[in-house]
Amino acid sequence: MDISILPPELIRIVISAVIIIAFVFLNAMVLGYAERKLAGYIMRRPGPMEVGPQGILQLMIDGVKLIGKQLIVPKESGHALFRIAPLLAFIPVGLAFVVIPFSDKLQARDLDVGLVFMLAIMSVNVVAVLVAGWSSNNKYSLFGAIRSVAQNVAYEIPMLLSLLSVVLMANTLSLKGIVLAQHPVWYVVCQPLAFIIYFVAGLAETNRAPFDLPEAESELTAGFHTEYSGMSFSLFILAEYTNMFFVCSIAVVLFLGGWSGIPLPFYAYSGGIWFLLKVYALLFVMIWVRWTYPRVRFDQLLNFCWKYLIPFSLVNLMLTAILVKLWPVVF
Amino acid sequence: MSDNSILITDLLSLPATVDEVDYARRGYHLDVALTADRVRAMAETLLRHEFYLVFASAVDLAPDAEVVYQFARHGSPCRIMARAYVRRDGTVPTIADIYHGANWHERETKDMFGIRFAGHPYLQPLLLPEENAELKPLKKSEKSIKLPADVRWLPEEPAPAAPAAPAAPKAGGDTPTTPEQG
Amino acid sequence: MTPEAAKQDKHTFVLNMGPQHPSTHGVMRVILEMDGEHILEPEPVLGYGHRIQEKMGEARPWPGFMPNTSRMDYLSAMIYNHGYVSLIERMTGIEVPRRAEFIRVITDELNRIQSHLLWLGAFLLDLGAFTPIMYTFDDREQILDILEDVTGSRLTYCYHRVGGVARDIDEKFVERTRAFIARLRSRFKPIYYDLVTSNIIFIKRVKDVVSFTPELARRYGLTGPPLRSTGISYDIRKNEPYSIYPEFDFEVPVGTKGDCLEVYNIRVAEMEQSLRIIEQALDRLPEGPFRNKIPRKVKLPQGDATFSVETARGELTYYLVSDGSDVPYRLKIRVPSFSNLSVLQELCRNMLLSDLVMSLGTLDLVIPEIDR
Repeated sequence: MDISILPPELIRIVISAVIIIAFVFLNAMVLGYAERKLAGYIMRRPGPMEVGPQGILQLMIDGVKLIGKQLIVPKESGHALFRIAPLLAFIPVGLAFVVIPFSDKLQARDLDVGLVFMLAIMSVNVVAVLVAGWSSNNKYSLFGAIRSVAQNVAYEIPMLLSLLSVVLMANTLSLKGIVLAQHPVWYVVCQPLAFIIYFVAGLAETNRAPFDLPEAESELTAGFHTEYSGMSFSLFILAEYTNMFFVCSIAVVLFLGGWSGIPLPFYAYSGGIWFLLKVYALLFVMIWVRWTYPRVRFDQLLNFCWKYLIPFSLVNLMLTAILVKLWPVVF
Repeated sequence: MSDNSILITDLLSLPATVDEVDYARRGYHLDVALTADRVRAMAETLLRHEFYLVFASAVDLAPDAEVVYQFARHGSPCRIMARAYVRRDGTVPTIADIYHGANWHERETKDMFGIRFAGHPYLQPLLLPEENAELKPLKKSEKSIKLPADVRWLPEEPAPAAPAAPAAPKAGGDTPTTPEQG
Repeated sequence: MTPEAAKQDKHTFVLNMGPQHPSTHGVMRVILEMDGEHILEPEPVLGYGHRIQEKMGEARPWPGFMPNTSRMDYLSAMIYNHGYVSLIERMTGIEVPRRAEFIRVITDELNRIQSHLLWLGAFLLDLGAFTPIMYTFDDREQILDILEDVTGSRLTYCYHRVGGVARDIDEKFVERTRAFIARLRSRFKPIYYDLVTSNIIFIKRVKDVVSFTPELARRYGLTGPPLRSTGISYDIRKNEPYSIYPEFDFEVPVGTKGDCLEVYNIRVAEMEQSLRIIEQALDRLPEGPFRNKIPRKVKLPQGDATFSVETARGELTYYLVSDGSDVPYRLKIRVPSFSNLSVLQELCRNMLLSDLVMSLGTLDLVIPEIDR
């Protein structure tokens, strides 16, 4: 078939979609492996060692196993919703890749409202968790879902407020624009408080320890995905890892200068490499935190958000606004 | 010692018979025997004296079974074995509202021996399944059941005969346990 | 009662926790009457692992029950051994050589440390921290290896014998135990203190959550670290000393407020005290026989006797009634977890689900011990 009859834009979309899906799976594999190896390192044990050198193919085997597993749908569950929930978690993660600036040239679309778009897409995950917990018709799942919703709604506020401080400084919502605006100094230097608040809220948004209450194993067995098996379970995990990637890439774009860095030997790819390096460095911190801290209690989680994170981010936002206004006047 | 004399007076006034026994040999200081209807009064007395309930159980004997309670004290060591006779499927007043820990011990005793506890808040099977209510596993068969006299320490008289060897080292204070003065 | 009122006013529901649940630490079930995340009424359901050990004790000559003693509380198996043989020795008056007493104390205390180490890891796992259990298991493994060498088993020991112990310990055992003491001491600060005890999330989770009081402890027969956290210094090893414990210099750690943080601190401090006891025992370990010759068949004298020992969880009491044969007529086993768990209903009313999980962890339950 002569592909020239197809509109070039369509071909581009198809290729991007394939790349994105491949990236989602690859990212989950890398993170899954990293998580297990790092957990092993922190616990002073080798971690996966059997499949491939240093167990590097373990995640591949796990994927094959999960694909081969039977999808069990509980008799009493809401069948349609139960099946939709994993897809609802997985599909938005593809969409958010549209606006991520991997480097100055490697970006699918530079939307004017890129940041808002990305946050909006990421919060769809809550709906998926709620649907999963609700339709499972299991009290533990429902507990997980309730906790997840309360937690995500609460933590989105400090998250947005801290990001808003950066937006005020950059004067744009376009992710590319924000990266370019941090030319001499990264925003993490001007906005350290916002960065910390954002990162803590990001941990909570992605249900990572110490805020992993929706899937608190010792309390709720497995939380909202208690009833899920096989591939529907792994779609949740894929979504979780991809959401972690997004949270960290927003942090990199807004606070750590995006793709900027010392030029590397492969000059053309230097930006992309720097971007991924920074993202995975933050992901490493997330994994590190998970294997170090115990879990907080639910009321402590919400207290921490409402009593500390939100007031601090509000103050930070106010100070930023005042300074941004005063800066041109004074100098 | 003065502490214990008040306690013994209180126990005697229940009424109950109180024997001070050889701790090194038996592991408890006071042997209290009383009638089943005085069990609650005893529990109240002992709670007042700051004892805690070690366990409550039963020993199946003929013609009447024995409900046994062991109490001990956090302060100066004093361990009490209290026993009350009750018909083998009879009823004893509960002490679960005085010693809340007795709740489960009494349920277990009901499971194992079929002895009921009057006034118990929730006398349901604890360890055994609900289905087989007739099963009383720790009840002795007619053949193997003993009289109370068969399981009591014999009075002084046979001491030189059967437990002669053990008696000697004990006097020398050489048993693994140091005798404690209550 | 509040739960009753709540049942009528609000929408409450029943949550069934167990028998298969990661935090009941065994086959136990708690039926929870819930109002949202708050527990109105927890009701433990027992008996899933009931093996009627007491009947087994009454169905065979007393030596035949020895292996059973280690299968109730599999984490304090050695101490259960000790209690049973001491009871028989108390009744029959059989003597124990001094060296055997030392060996018993050393193995008991090693057993206590490994139980506390396992508890420490499992408790932190209940709180959602995954790493400490790997460290504690690493340390615990050393103890299991040491004990395996001398007893032949790793968990369900049947090592103590009436009149002594089954095998003598050798130089290698002494060396390895000394090495272990040094190793564990060096790990308290950098690992357990820095990683766990000083962690702000950990402290916030466990501090002031439950309150054990002396009065509650008396009413329920609470023993072990939860009792000592109320400020009552009650340890059978001190209060009704058995074996050669009076010869050693050790302290009984106590708390003041009776919250979970204190129970945690007491258990950690107890490990250090146990190390002290082991060290002293190794220093003074006498030469001599490790077991006295006893006749093939020893009849128990007619009568009843009781013997209490301090396990890692609290007071274990054997009560034996004998009719003069070698088969016990009645063997009652009072286990610490049974009484400790019975507190749950009163302790955990109107508590959050997470706190219930934490409280269950604090009590350090071994379910086969409760079910027997």
